[in-house]
Amino acid sequence: MNHSLGVDIGSISTKGVILDDSGRLIAEAYLLTEGNPLGAVRRLLGELQAQLPADSQIYAVGTTGSARRLIGAMLEADAVKNEITAHAVGTLSRHPNVRTILEIGGQDSKIIILNDGIVTDYAMNTLCAAGTGAFLSAQAGRLGLAVEDMGGLAQTAAAPARIAARCTVFAESDLIHKAQTGHSKADLVAGLCNAVASNYLSNVGKGKKITPPVIFQGGVSRNQGVTEAFRRELNCEVLVDPDGPLMGAVGTALLAAKAPKRAEPFRFEIAARTYETKAETCAGCGNYCEIVRFVRDGVGVDAWGHRCEGIMES
Amino acid sequence: MTIGIPRALAYHRYGTLWETFFEELGIPHIVSPETNQTLLAEGIKHTVDESCLPLKLYMGHAHALLDRCDALLVPRLERLGKRDEFCVRFWGLPDTVRATFQDVPLLTYDRTSARPDSEKRAFLQIAKSLGKNYRAAANAYRAAQNRQREADFQRLAQNRPLLRAKAPKILIAAQSYIAHDPRLGGEVISLIRDLGAAPICIEAFDRTACHKAAQHISTDLYWTLSREILGAIHLARGRADGVILLTAFPCGSDCLANELVLRRVKDLPVIQILLDEHQSREGLATRIESFLDMVTCRGGVIPPASPRRNHL
Repeated sequence: MNHSLGVDIGSISTKGVILDDSGRLIAEAYLLTEGNPLGAVRRLLGELQAQLPADSQIYAVGTTGSARRLIGAMLEADAVKNEITAHAVGTLSRHPNVRTILEIGGQDSKIIILNDGIVTDYAMNTLCAAGTGAFLSAQAGRLGLAVEDMGGLAQTAAAPARIAARCTVFAESDLIHKAQTGHSKADLVAGLCNAVASNYLSNVGKGKKITPPVIFQGGVSRNQGVTEAFRRELNCEVLVDPDGPLMGAVGTALLAAKAPKRAEPFRFEIAARTYETKAETCAGCGNYCEIVRFVRDGVGVDAWGHRCEGIMES
Repeated sequence: MTIGIPRALAYHRYGTLWETFFEELGIPHIVSPETNQTLLAEGIKHTVDESCLPLKLYMGHAHALLDRCDALLVPRLERLGKRDEFCVRFWGLPDTVRATFQDVPLLTYDRTSARPDSEKRAFLQIAKSLGKNYRAAANAYRAAQNRQREADFQRLAQNRPLLRAKAPKILIAAQSYIAHDPRLGGEVISLIRDLGAAPICIEAFDRTACHKAAQHISTDLYWTLSREILGAIHLARGRADGVILLTAFPCGSDCLANELVLRRVKDLPVIQILLDEHQSREGLATRIESFLDMVTCRGGVIPPASPRRNHL
């Protein structure tokens, strides 16, 4: 059997899937990256292998997410694709009629507009992480909550507080003031969820024609408070696929399956080899590039981070 | 006496004019090196935090010349015609430099009037202050003007054929000091090239034509450089496959100009990319890669990705 493996290594979580040759999901895993993408992928591969029928073989490997390059080198991937495209491809394979994909992840938020299965427009937050998962976790920490509990708590709110979410600093000062003037924790959290949704729509979603069916995905989609806020603001059904977090991995697995076929099947033993990343600052010129060398079993296989071709040998 | 020329802001528009002028007059001059991390770090150190990135870079370039020249060439550019003007950073540049590096003498000239000969008068004035006679100055200016015209034409000739490229054509909608700085536009251009697309600078279009064409997007916008960008975008309609609005943070005129483009240009895929002091290029790569995917998959197919292997 010709299976394909897709791995999505985000800043917060690492997701992996194995698809059979008809694109059906036959194995899946989801775990936290915890700042160690190589370790996370090692654990992920263990979980995926355990779910795989003994006779199956993987002939395509794709990576996506912010660590796609690093893990692409580790797994000798056939496709290394940015998360926007991977998510669009993955979601379309499941929901061919979708017109709008809202996505809020750990550091990025994006909107993808589709027509007849073709991406016609999209936007992504500029390089600031306000209003994303990282923002919600920071605020949860301030309120002494686990980020997973925010959505449930938001739904118990009687009168959501009004909070500005344009900038983490402004939101934090709003949050402190509202807490000090006696708003309940539930109202504050509901206010934050509303703020994330309205901030998203007025920033990333600005000027975009949002047509149903609308799908909301990314880590923040597991927060019902934000999902509800989107439903209210958009005045339409907002679908959250329970497999939504896996769509990037599914997308890159599908893209890998289209890439030229590899000669040898993928071997899970690759995880058992020793991987090292060595960061160094190149002193070759005034740019002082921070170069990362990727080393497998003591042999350098890839390097990135340099602005020119003249990497200092070391 | 050696003149120092910072390789930033208006240098990317008038560099040839300045260098040729001094060359013809036989006055030694030195241009700061290409932007690098060290220059940027010095620039950040010597600029108010709220300044825009290009001004920070300018100060970095000026700083790099301090010990190597006797005077810095810092012009005050206000306007070229009756109906347009430069951003205020250009208006106040000599004052900003003077306030930042108190000890360095400045060689400056003003382009404050819309008179067609205002540049020539300014250059004659400079030559006079350097002890050169009228004839030498006028000849040097004429030579400088010709060489700048040639350089402008060369940029046009470099970029124009790309409009007929088979690869996806991406217009880099940015001021020349962004597009031609290796640390800013340079990174974007090389990313686009690596992905097999054709990056096109706004110099693919004639400047006068741009000013005229800008009216199709806005008749009110009066910033010289923004008008040229808007005009290039209009002229790229039906010819380019996508536009990247490349903006340095926090550019006031782009704030307005980009918004106009996003609202009024609906027949061309447009993405806005903000450049700041970020040290990691991952965010930039993701945005450009996904934009190119979108532009190319308008034809229906998402290109299969290929992992890029780098040499060691």
